[in-house]
Amino acid sequence: MQLDFKARELTIKLVYYGPALSGKTTNLQAIHRLVSAEVAGRLMTLETQDDRTLFFDLLPLSLNAGKGLQVRVKLFTVPGQVIHNATRRLVLQGADGVAFIADSQRTETKSNAASFVNLRQNLTDQGIEPASMPLVIQFNKRDLPDIRTDDEIDALASRGKEPVFKAVALRGVGVLETLMGLMEITWNRLEDEHRLSEKFGLTPGPLLAELERHLGVAEAIQRVSR
Amino acid sequence: MSEPQIDLTLADITRLEEIVDRGALGEVCRSFFDLFSLPIRVFSHDGTLLADVHETREICRYVNTLPKGRAACSGLVSEVKGIDPQDGVVVHPCFTGAVYRIVPIDYQGRRLGRFVIGPYLPAEVREVPRSLLVIDERLEAEKARAALTEMPRVREETAERLSDHLTHILDLIIFSGHRAFLTSQMHVASVRESYKVLSDKNAELQTAFDRLKELDRLKSNFLATVSHELRTPLTSIIGYSDMLATGIAGDLNEEQAEFVETIRGKGDHLLALISSLLDLGKLEQGNLPLRRELIGPRDLLEEVAKTMTPAAEKKGVQMKVQVEGALPPIAADPVRIKQVLFNLCENAVKFSPRGGDVTLGVRSVELESDGDGDGMGFVLMAAPKTALEISVSDQGPGIPSGEQQKIFDAFYQVDGSSTREHGGTGLGLSIVKRLVEAHGGQVWVDSVVGEGTTFSFTIPEGDE
Repeated sequence: MQLDFKARELTIKLVYYGPALSGKTTNLQAIHRLVSAEVAGRLMTLETQDDRTLFFDLLPLSLNAGKGLQVRVKLFTVPGQVIHNATRRLVLQGADGVAFIADSQRTETKSNAASFVNLRQNLTDQGIEPASMPLVIQFNKRDLPDIRTDDEIDALASRGKEPVFKAVALRGVGVLETLMGLMEITWNRLEDEHRLSEKFGLTPGPLLAELERHLGVAEAIQRVSR
Repeated sequence: MSEPQIDLTLADITRLEEIVDRGALGEVCRSFFDLFSLPIRVFSHDGTLLADVHETREICRYVNTLPKGRAACSGLVSEVKGIDPQDGVVVHPCFTGAVYRIVPIDYQGRRLGRFVIGPYLPAEVREVPRSLLVIDERLEAEKARAALTEMPRVREETAERLSDHLTHILDLIIFSGHRAFLTSQMHVASVRESYKVLSDKNAELQTAFDRLKELDRLKSNFLATVSHELRTPLTSIIGYSDMLATGIAGDLNEEQAEFVETIRGKGDHLLALISSLLDLGKLEQGNLPLRRELIGPRDLLEEVAKTMTPAAEKKGVQMKVQVEGALPPIAADPVRIKQVLFNLCENAVKFSPRGGDVTLGVRSVELESDGDGDGMGFVLMAAPKTALEISVSDQGPGIPSGEQQKIFDAFYQVDGSSTREHGGTGLGLSIVKRLVEAHGGQVWVDSVVGEGTTFSFTIPEGDE
C-alpha cells in the first residue's frame, strides 16, 4: 500500500497468482471488460510469448472514494510457468492481497498445490508471514469436464481459512465476486494496520459498497449471469 | 546484492517526462497545430513546459505594443500557466474575448500534467469585448477589431472534441511509453534477480568444492602417513623372517621353513602394496618430481625385457622386443618409465597363458592436434609433433570393452577374484596412468576378449 496524504491518494496492490494457464490474465481481461472505462484504465500486458505472460499484466482501477480520497487499485498477474520464479518474486513485492487462481480440472490439482507452495515460499523469502497475507482462492474453469465437484470444493473450503470463489473467467462469471472478496479482506487488513477510517473518516462498509457501486459490480454480475 | 534501484512495486509513473519523449510530444503538438491552427502547450504536473507550438496572433502582437496591454497580457499568461485543473477541464477567459482551454492529463488515477489549447475565439463572440477596449487608453477599437478577426474561431463543442481527441492520443503515448519503460525495467530486474540466484548457487557449489578438495588433501596426507608408518615395522618383519629363513637362528625343519617363507612372501607383497600407495599419494599431491634424461628406446625395452625374463620363464612365457626403425632418444625419468614398463609387463606375464608371448614394442608417431578442438585455424594449429609410442602386448584372456576405462581407477580389478588368483594390489594401472600423464603422455588399452591385450602409452618429445 502507498499512502500519499498530500494528494489524498491511496494505492493498493493486488496480485493474481496461480499455476500456468489457470486464467490469471483472463480474470483481468474479464474485469477490464466488465468494469466501466472511467474506473478501469487500459489493460497493460508486458511481454508475452505464445499468449503466455512473461512479465506481468497490469490493470489499474481508480475511483473517488469520497471525502476527497482517490483510491487506486492495481491488479497484477504473475507469470505462472515454473521457470519464471524470479519475475514472480519481483511482482509479488509490496502486494497487499493475493487472489490465487486455481484450475478446477482434476489433472491440475498437483500444479495448483505446487504453485501455492511456491507462493508461500516466495512470501517467506520476502520476510512476509504467509498467513498474514490477505488471500482468496478462485477455482476457475468451472465449465470444463472432469473438474473437482462443487461438493468437494465446498467441503474443503469449509475446513480452510480463505474465502473460496468459483468462476468461469472466460465468460466473466465469478470474477468480480473474487475481486470484491479480495478487496474486502485486504481493506480490513489495511484498516487494522493503518487505521484508515480514522485518517480519512471512512468506514469500511460504506467504502466497499461505494467501491462496488463504482465498479458496477451488481450490474455486471447481472449481465454475466444472463 | 543491493536493493533494486527501480521500484517496480506499483509500476507507477511519477513524472510525465520520464515516460514521454519530448521530441515526439513536440511533433504531435505540431501536427495538431497544423491541422487545427490552435496553439498548444503541454506542462508536466510541476509546471515544466514540455511542448509548445504556437504563432503569435495579430491581436496579441497589437496588445503587446501598448504598455498596459503588455502588462495585462503577461499577467494573464502566467495566470493560465498556474491553473491546475483540479476537477476537470477549465476554460479560462482572456480579456481579448478569446479563451484558454486547460485540460488535465491523468493516467492510472494519477495527475501527470495538463495541456493548454488556445487562445482561440469562441464562435459565439461577435463583438470586440469591453474588457479589451478598456485595457489601455491608447487602444484603437478599429485596429483591435481587425486584428481579432484573424484569431481562429472554434465552437465550444468542437473545442471539447478536439481536446478529447488530444487526451486520447496523449494517453496512448503515455501508455506505450509506460509499457516500454516497465518492460525494460523488468528485463533489468529479472536479469538481476536471476544473477542473484545463480550467484547464490555458485557460492554453494564453491563451498562444496572447497570442502571436497580439503577432504581429498586430507585423504592423501592420511595415505602418505599411514603408508610410511606401516612400512617401518614391516621392514623388521621381512628382515627377521629373512634371517630366520637363512638359518641364522638355527636350522628350521621343512614345515617351519615353509611358514617363514610364507611370512616373507606376504610381507613382500604388503610392502609392494604400501609402496604403491605411497607413490599414488605423492602422485595425487603432485609432488613426485621427475628427473628427465635422454633414454634410447631400444636399450630401455631390452633392459626391461631382460629383467623380466626369469619371472616370465617361470610361467613358460617368452619376452620379445620389437623396434621399428631408428628412433631418437626420449627425455623421460628412467626410474619412472621403467616402473611403468615393469608394471605393464608384470601384468602381461601374469595374465599370459603358458607358452604365450609378451611383446614390447616402440615406434615413433605423429601426435594429431585439431587446434583448439573446433577446427578453427587447423592448418596452422596442426603442426606435427612426434612422440614415442610404447606398447606391451600379451595373449591373455583380454578385457571386456565395458571395463577398459575403469581399470585405470585405483583399486579396480576386472574380476575381484583375480586379485586372489593372480595377486596384485589393484593400484598398478592407476600409478601407470599418473606416471605417464606426469610425462605429458597418454595411456590406453586395446583388447579383444579371448585374444589378448595391448597397453600403449605415448611419451611426447620435448618442446625444445
